[in-house]
Amino acid sequence: MSIRRGIAVALVAAMAVLVGCRNDAPETQQGGSGVKFDVGVTAEPCPAAVDKTKGCIYLGSISDLTEGPFKALGVPITESQKAFWQRVNKAGGIGAYEVDVTKYVKDNKYNPQIHNEVYSEIKPDVLGLAQTLGSPTTAAILGDLKAGGMIGVPASWTSAWAFEDVILESGTNYCFESMNSVDFAVETLKPKSVAAVHFPGDYGDDAAAGTKIAAEANGLKFTDIPTAPGQENQGAAIQKLLAAKPDLVILTTGPTEAATIVGGAAQNGFKSPFIGTSPTWNPALLKSPAAPALTALYRQSGPWAPYGADTPGHKALGESINQETFKAAPNDGYTAGWVWSYPLKAALQKAVDSKDLTRAGLLAAVKSLETVDYEGMLPAEAGRFSGEPNERVFRGSIISKVDPTAPTGVKVERDFFTGKTAKAYDFTKPCYQ
Amino acid sequence: MNEFVATVVRGLGNGSIYALLALGFVIVYKSMRVISFAQPAFMMAGALLTGYLVLSMNFFVAVLVALLLTGLLGAVVERLALRPMIGKPVFVIAIITLGVDIVIRTVVNSFIGLDIRQMGDPWGLRQVDVLGAKIDQRHLATLVTTLIVVAALFAFYRWSRTGLAMRAASSDQEVALAQGVSVGRVFSLSWALAAALAGLAGVFLSTGIGLEQNLWLTALKALPVIILGGLDSLGGAVVAGLTIGVIEALVGSYGDNLHPVFGGDFFLVVPYLLMLLVVLVRPYGLFGTREVERI
Repeated sequence: MSIRRGIAVALVAAMAVLVGCRNDAPETQQGGSGVKFDVGVTAEPCPAAVDKTKGCIYLGSISDLTEGPFKALGVPITESQKAFWQRVNKAGGIGAYEVDVTKYVKDNKYNPQIHNEVYSEIKPDVLGLAQTLGSPTTAAILGDLKAGGMIGVPASWTSAWAFEDVILESGTNYCFESMNSVDFAVETLKPKSVAAVHFPGDYGDDAAAGTKIAAEANGLKFTDIPTAPGQENQGAAIQKLLAAKPDLVILTTGPTEAATIVGGAAQNGFKSPFIGTSPTWNPALLKSPAAPALTALYRQSGPWAPYGADTPGHKALGESINQETFKAAPNDGYTAGWVWSYPLKAALQKAVDSKDLTRAGLLAAVKSLETVDYEGMLPAEAGRFSGEPNERVFRGSIISKVDPTAPTGVKVERDFFTGKTAKAYDFTKPCYQ
Repeated sequence: MNEFVATVVRGLGNGSIYALLALGFVIVYKSMRVISFAQPAFMMAGALLTGYLVLSMNFFVAVLVALLLTGLLGAVVERLALRPMIGKPVFVIAIITLGVDIVIRTVVNSFIGLDIRQMGDPWGLRQVDVLGAKIDQRHLATLVTTLIVVAALFAFYRWSRTGLAMRAASSDQEVALAQGVSVGRVFSLSWALAAALAGLAGVFLSTGIGLEQNLWLTALKALPVIILGGLDSLGGAVVAGLTIGVIEALVGSYGDNLHPVFGGDFFLVVPYLLMLLVVLVRPYGLFGTREVERI
């Protein structure tokens, strides 16, 4: 090797080391208000600042925005979160800072690989993630989130999130939601058997696990009916339902699959009630041929009340989002995006109060949250992030029934409750792994 | 027994959709020796147009108009995006069809919106009693329509002058040109037919609950169908489509004992397994033409 080549190699190596050092240990700075910060916070104002004298906290959003299967949820969640933080900024921001969730919005197409790529793109520029949509997609970046101590707000409700410090989830998970649905049915409908019709993976299997746990606790016969996405793939699930004749069905699918199953089963004389977890519902189904069957047989469980409920948070949501856009495609994704933002707001406020807006400071703030003011959309104790998952996990959920006059086609039938199964369940590991 | 009959008819209904899609693939392949990955987009376009037209006219009229428009779209795409590429490597043209698919689907998706679009079809989720078995009307309608369309298509290829010209161009383009056949017109017509057939598949796929953006994924099921039936065999596309539809339905309904080994959605893999097994024995598919190459 010539001397010149050796020097070149040494220089490249030195540059690589320097770049690596820069990424691993971001420089900590101090703002005018005495708050220290490192990544994703600037003393300069946000691009669309309400108050130009304030600094800016940049939060990233990775959602399903164009062609993935959950675009119908991802778009309203993202819009709702923009409205949430705009409201926060208008109300004075977080201390000497405003929050920007518009500059680093990325589309994951519900693909874990793309999710990881766009996460890597925005990671050096954001303090945390205001939204990371999907369970398998979030799992793809979880290791890096943990390594960097970076907070992410998940747009999903799988039970595994309760065991992750860096995940700032809200509301109960699919597992407890399904336990509560079974307990609700046991009280009101007196079933002797229950079937879980579900997609495979963190979403459907988590709910099916909760259904099975509650079935065993209540002495019900349990039938597991996994099914694949796609309207044309539901024939087998319907036949299995008709063969098993359960007295209750817990559905964890997409909306079109749910309508195909409920409508198809009803056509064959199936009269048992269905309770679907929240992503199963879409109000547009009330225009489909399955509408009569859905109105007669379907209920929806959920981690909080649907759009239009009578709480200060729901009212603020209604006043903040574009009503024309909402009415064109009403969807409880708006509600979810709004609710999910409250704990992050509380954690940011706590970090600013502690004068530490670094990633480590934000993580510490999250772990010290005992309650969160959800403006009535969730009880304050649902915002506890300190302690063991079994102590802190929120187990309450809501049951709604179909009401075509309601903004998103469902209206609360039973407000927050925790069934006896969920109450007694020893939550030492995720229901589905 | 009734349940078995219902499963088979459901499989034939879904298989008819796969067959319609596969026919489009085969028609384009026969004329241009290219696999058109734009079929999912035409499927969505046909369904979307029907969904809009049905608001102002009878469903059946809306379907006919939508298919004409979809066919026209196919011909325009061929003329503008594919014709200039004649003579270029087949791989390049196939990639262009992939681009066409993305462009058209993006436009179609913007019109579908976030919700589910209703087709206004007369069948909905209604059923009919056939020999004691409850059969979805839409599955029967899909099957009967497919059989009629396939018969008309075969008659067209067999007895019409244009069909003869298409067969000639498929067999040898230069000889066909020498005999006065407009190969360019054959290309356009092939794309128009393929697009219209895909559109019809989209319409039937959307009957029942409605049209949503993710429905395009179903078009991918036509890929094992064309490999199984033979890339250049119209008859093979129909037989393979119906076969895969029925086997998929039977495995879905009665393959529970396979679940512990292969998982709950094993029926989704069956078309590909079947394809692999057949290709091992007959590399050109069940009805494909064995290529003779000079070595």
